Amino acid sequence: MATGMLVQHPAEAPPGVAARRSRRGHKAGVAATPYLLLIPAIVMYGVFVVYPVYRQFEISFFNWHIFPGASNPFVGFSNYSQIFHDPVVRTAAFNSFLYIVVTVPAQMALGLFAAAVLTDRLPGGMLWRAAVYIPVVTSWVVVSFIFAYIFSSQGGVANAVVGFFVGHRVSIPWTAEKWTGDLVVWLIGIWKGIGWSFIIFLAALDGVPRQLLESARIDGAGEPRVWRHVVLPAIRPAIMFVTVLLVIGGAQVFTQIYLVTRGGPYNSTQALMPYMYQQAFANFAFGYASALASLLAVVLFGLSWAEIRLMRQQEL
Amino acid sequence: MTTSRSAKRRPFVRGLACAILAAGATLLGLTPTVASAAPTVTLEFWNTYNTTDKEASTMQNVVLKRFEQLNPGVRVTSVVVPYSQLLQKYIAAVAAGDPPAVLRSDIIWVPQLAQEGALMNLTHLKWFQPIKAASLPGPLSTNYYKGSYYGVPDDTNTQVLFWNKSLFAAAGLEPPKTLSQLWVDAQKLTNKSKGVYGLGIDGTDIWNVGPYVWSGGGSFTNKSYTSAAGFVNGVDTEDVLLQMLNLNAAGDIGTDFRGGAGAVSGETGFAKGEYAMYIDGPWAVPTYREEHFSDYGMEVMPKGPGGSISVVGGEDLVLANNVPNKADAIKLLQFLASPFAQLQMANQGDLAGYAPDIAAEVKAQPYLKVFTQQLLTAEARPVSPGYTKFDTIFSNALQEAVAGKVSLAAAMQTVAAEGTAALQGS
Repeated sequence: MATGMLVQHPAEAPPGVAARRSRRGHKAGVAATPYLLLIPAIVMYGVFVVYPVYRQFEISFFNWHIFPGASNPFVGFSNYSQIFHDPVVRTAAFNSFLYIVVTVPAQMALGLFAAAVLTDRLPGGMLWRAAVYIPVVTSWVVVSFIFAYIFSSQGGVANAVVGFFVGHRVSIPWTAEKWTGDLVVWLIGIWKGIGWSFIIFLAALDGVPRQLLESARIDGAGEPRVWRHVVLPAIRPAIMFVTVLLVIGGAQVFTQIYLVTRGGPYNSTQALMPYMYQQAFANFAFGYASALASLLAVVLFGLSWAEIRLMRQQEL
Repeated sequence: MTTSRSAKRRPFVRGLACAILAAGATLLGLTPTVASAAPTVTLEFWNTYNTTDKEASTMQNVVLKRFEQLNPGVRVTSVVVPYSQLLQKYIAAVAAGDPPAVLRSDIIWVPQLAQEGALMNLTHLKWFQPIKAASLPGPLSTNYYKGSYYGVPDDTNTQVLFWNKSLFAAAGLEPPKTLSQLWVDAQKLTNKSKGVYGLGIDGTDIWNVGPYVWSGGGSFTNKSYTSAAGFVNGVDTEDVLLQMLNLNAAGDIGTDFRGGAGAVSGETGFAKGEYAMYIDGPWAVPTYREEHFSDYGMEVMPKGPGGSISVVGGEDLVLANNVPNKADAIKLLQFLASPFAQLQMANQGDLAGYAPDIAAEVKAQPYLKVFTQQLLTAEARPVSPGYTKFDTIFSNALQEAVAGKVSLAAAMQTVAAEGTAALQGS
């Protein structure tokens, strides 16, 4: 036994007061615990998200030279005004928008279809589910090169298929034309994205109350009506989540454009992110690229807010 | 009992303290090192050497190994980076204060990096003077920006005409001696049913289009690289470009001209017999050796009204302003420019940028002779910080004309205006 523990210190408060203090201290500790646990995450978020975003916003007002010691003249809003006079930005913004319009509904529809079909009751269900999800975990770079190979201008699987149907050898420069190039870029996005929406919808469908489905069927509703009036309303939060994230992801389309069409021909397949990258790392226009990034962030924030609001309104 | 517990804890606490102190000392680099054991300095040499032939391995296993033998305590790693990522990676490294010891930079990047203040000015450094004196004037000039030198030549190169012997023999043709003959031969050699294109041109940028334009008497800018007006949209330039557009429309030029990742490059298509002719640099020869492909010949660019003109290419060796281990980095750069390193790399197709080394290299690798001959008349691409932007504007405009979106004259008019602005830094 530690004798020291039994000795009452003359300066210490009576036992009742000490116990109250101890309880108060304990309560304060309990109340502070969540905040203390949050500190590492807040610090990380501040250092790796808030600060870079602030710096990027700050840089957008300068003719910024990235190398240490260089002078960076303040240019006010001129980087922003330049954006509205840059024809490539218009093309890139249109292509980014088109990418969202084409790929987001396709990924959602196919993901939902796969989630509905590939249920536990299907023989080899796990295998099929894994097959649908595998593209999500494969590298964008590898997939882009595989698609470039499939859509090779001379030879290539796509040309062989077209050649088979037309009866002679064809050399379609898929990745060097505006619309065929877009098609390849969209296909990569859809193919890689189905698995992600599939997994979200799979979890959401699992949460649809069985009794609701059964009672709808007993009441004579066919499958289309069950889906329209029971399933889709039940998974609305998942649909909202998938839509918002896919739209944000779609606006940031980069790798397949950078690697497959390279924005060409004549910037016709260019999108906002690869153009931003080109401005920063090929032309060293870091201020202009930062202005583009800031504007894109504001647009995406507004778009996501509008989407969520719209869906909530429909819910009411 | 308390005493005995503390006594028990003490060795553990002491051990923990020792471990923390040791870890801290290691992190701070305070641990005593044995002089003859592990190297004390590790340098990185960033480059874009080819890993599919012996270029990259020769650098690491022969050249850098020799440097390490001569400089005990210094270890060098050759870091091969894909060309499309190297500039971006280097910018990020310099900005973060952690650049590689030496960068093997494409010659077109040097003025751009110098303008940004990223590179060390070598002009008045003592060790730079003998290197400068031995350099060939053309490669040396690619390091020059606003009165100062920011690098030393590494290798220089140019492109010559590669022609497929079997395809020429089958068509009863000899390699073309004139540019007008080349256009005609491209049509004769094309065999659509067999997937053979008469000519492969790897893109619409100046590196690929320039040799035809210059040989045809055209040009892109004035001599001081400050204006494109009247040059890129000059009659001779447009005549050559029009020939290309017509051949492309007729299907006599391969799909590589249009670009995109799905295009078959000249080097790949030529070895497969899909291109009867194309232009390429000396690095293609070791690659073809590896692939056991030898059914080809090489000639200087066919002569046109401008002569037999090709494009100067190559790489320079540069040091960042904020390079760590500066003394060792300089030693490495000097060694890479030395005759030993230059000859080793010449055996892999990298022609030296130094006059005294050229003869030895051609003796060791006779195929280099045609490239040294072509270098005598080769033209440099505009040596300007705005070159990358200018080249993009030109390439995009030509692509628009190829696609029939605008007339060639209108496209070149755009380049004359926007390209001049890019060259002048706006």
